[in-house]
Amino acid sequence: MRRRAFLGLAAAGSLAGCGYRSVDAEYEQPAGAVPKQYAGRTRVVFWSSYGGANGKAVDKLVAKFNESQQDVYVEAQFQGSYDDVAQKVAASLIARQAPDIAVLSDVTWERFYLNDALEPLNGYFTDGFGPAVYQQKLFGEYVVKGQSWCVPFARSTPILYFNRDAFAKAGLPDRAPRTWSELRSWGPSLARVQSGGRSLRSLALAKVDGDWQFQGNVWQFGGAYSNGLDVTIDQDGAVAAGEWQRRMVHDDGFAYMANSAMTDFANGLVAMVQDSTGGLKSAMSKAKFKVGAGFVPSEVAAGIATGGGGIGMLRNASAERKQAAAAFLAFLARPENSAWWTTQTGYLPVVDKAREDPALKKLIADEPNYGVAIAQLTNARKQDAIRLFGRNSNVAIYTGLQQIYADNASPRKVFGAVARRLEAIGDEVRRQYEEKVL
Amino acid sequence: MTALDLPVRTHPDERRQVASGNQEQRRRRRREYRLFALLVAPNLLVIAVFAYWPILYNAFLSLTDWNMIAARPTFVGLTNYANILTDPAFHKTLWITLVFTGLIVAGSLVIGLALALLFNQPLKGRGVVRTISFAPHILSGAAVATIWLFIFDPGYGLLRALIEPFGAEPPDWMNNSDWALPGLVIVYLWKNVGFTALIYLAGLQGLPKELDEAAAIDGAGTWTRFRRIKLPLLAPITFFLLITTVIGTFQAFDVIAVMTGGGPGDATTTLSWSIYNEGFQAFNAGRAATLSIIMFVILLIVTAVQARVMERRVHYK
Repeated sequence: MRRRAFLGLAAAGSLAGCGYRSVDAEYEQPAGAVPKQYAGRTRVVFWSSYGGANGKAVDKLVAKFNESQQDVYVEAQFQGSYDDVAQKVAASLIARQAPDIAVLSDVTWERFYLNDALEPLNGYFTDGFGPAVYQQKLFGEYVVKGQSWCVPFARSTPILYFNRDAFAKAGLPDRAPRTWSELRSWGPSLARVQSGGRSLRSLALAKVDGDWQFQGNVWQFGGAYSNGLDVTIDQDGAVAAGEWQRRMVHDDGFAYMANSAMTDFANGLVAMVQDSTGGLKSAMSKAKFKVGAGFVPSEVAAGIATGGGGIGMLRNASAERKQAAAAFLAFLARPENSAWWTTQTGYLPVVDKAREDPALKKLIADEPNYGVAIAQLTNARKQDAIRLFGRNSNVAIYTGLQQIYADNASPRKVFGAVARRLEAIGDEVRRQYEEKVL
Repeated sequence: MTALDLPVRTHPDERRQVASGNQEQRRRRRREYRLFALLVAPNLLVIAVFAYWPILYNAFLSLTDWNMIAARPTFVGLTNYANILTDPAFHKTLWITLVFTGLIVAGSLVIGLALALLFNQPLKGRGVVRTISFAPHILSGAAVATIWLFIFDPGYGLLRALIEPFGAEPPDWMNNSDWALPGLVIVYLWKNVGFTALIYLAGLQGLPKELDEAAAIDGAGTWTRFRRIKLPLLAPITFFLLITTVIGTFQAFDVIAVMTGGGPGDATTTLSWSIYNEGFQAFNAGRAATLSIIMFVILLIVTAVQARVMERRVHYK
């Protein structure tokens, strides 16, 4: 009897205790190999979420760093999308075999911060690496309670991409529309342009993750997702933004929901998309027409959401590896490297001095599209707290948008339901949020 | 059990005791048992580690609130069950899962059997057609989904090219709540029927010819012979396909993930997609585990009921 009770307790104990993270333990790294010429260096594992052309640029930066010094070898491992990286980092912590640094998105780093998985970075800052170096807004978004929990890397805002050739055919000015009302008024002219056997539509709306762009749209129409964690998506401004899009899709037929808005745009199927500045370079190389870029339109107000990836350091890495990883982050913060990353991708230069880099300056002079996001940065704002800190808020919002786009559902009704969902999500994190963020 | 047939080496002295030897019998049984344990141990271990342990652990997680990053889960008792079972969104998910499963199971069996009957005819080129119809089954779900996204695409899809000459406008399959689920059903059927057809074909070819011939001589028509002889004789095959298709469809994930992501809205959110969404998008391990347990129980009940019903109806000989 007693023995059985003891065994039961032991089983329960191992069930509850083993397999979970211990906040201050030192974990192993994921497997990999250090090439011969870098033998004897401290190995740093960096999980990245950039593939394609952007991934090649990451690899080049890493290679340049490895060449630039004698002590550290950084191994970049591509792990898929922002969501994939977040899932894998969480799993790696449970498995006690974690990367040292990882790319975390605008909506995933917070959950690692709230649960004590990130290393505070202030202790690693030096003259060339720290608050004085980075673009203030982008740097400040990762500062909580006086400590930095990530540093900006591939930061972006949405910009408005437009098909200059189609605009010319439609007799429209060679610029992005200034307001959403103006964009709508251009719909009939664009509809007279033929593309792929049908009349050209004005705007493609993203099926997945469109809630990021819509965050800005809500501000532009005078609303907000939330005030702190208090949800306001069911109130007038947000509903007006939703109603504008609903009307564009269902009443006017000028807009539609796209599986991949950017692919449709690059193939000339739609005249405009609002998408990340990080896709600028690949859009310009894929499109067979002249790509224009401009500010995202305003309506009653200007305002766009920052987004994209920063790099966080995992608290469970060894002290030596953390120090080595910091050296790599400092390398990325050098103006020439930040500028080079921008020229290769279109992401914002996260370091102020990068804007004075001759190569970037020349690129902007030759191709003004690269300057749009930088100029638009004055309108950029940190997103509403419910999207940043509420786990799965983004999915709740974009599935609501899908109902508007696909089913002509009333925005007020949809956002009412989304608000109830967001309130439940907010309640899950409220205690942690009030303790660790406010 | 072959172990029973193995010669047992015994000492000659002991052999004399066998007649009276209760002890000997026990020892022999013990030895056989040990051999049995030795033989099943590797499999049992693998199943225990990769199937039973995760199920138990999952059951434990369903009683907790855990975001997978926090150092420890918080024990919350049956809260997750109470919340989920009373959630209207869950009821809708369950309904969608049932419709989705029902359509695919019925479609796979009916079309599969029809194809099998066709392939069983001595037609020219049937080998090639058999291969073609089976091929989708071995393609990976993600590849199938990508192909069908292209076929369904309203802007430049294959279906559009086929329909447009007749002046019709195809629906925007995956971006319309009314069409997305039927679209997924079509894709899964396309992927599945080759397999059910193959199994049915094997069954048809294994049927005893005498019964069919006897019935034909007695004047039974093709339809009567199919209904009264072939179909009942195929019952064990139907039973096998029914269970495997129900389970497979309940767990379908890959095509949904690539083609709809559970959307638009929640139009294609099945139980397995909502488990993924709760677990890996929301990092809600407790809710995801609870949904998994619910799915496990549903499948257990469905299988038990099917087995019970079929026990009475299926004739294995």
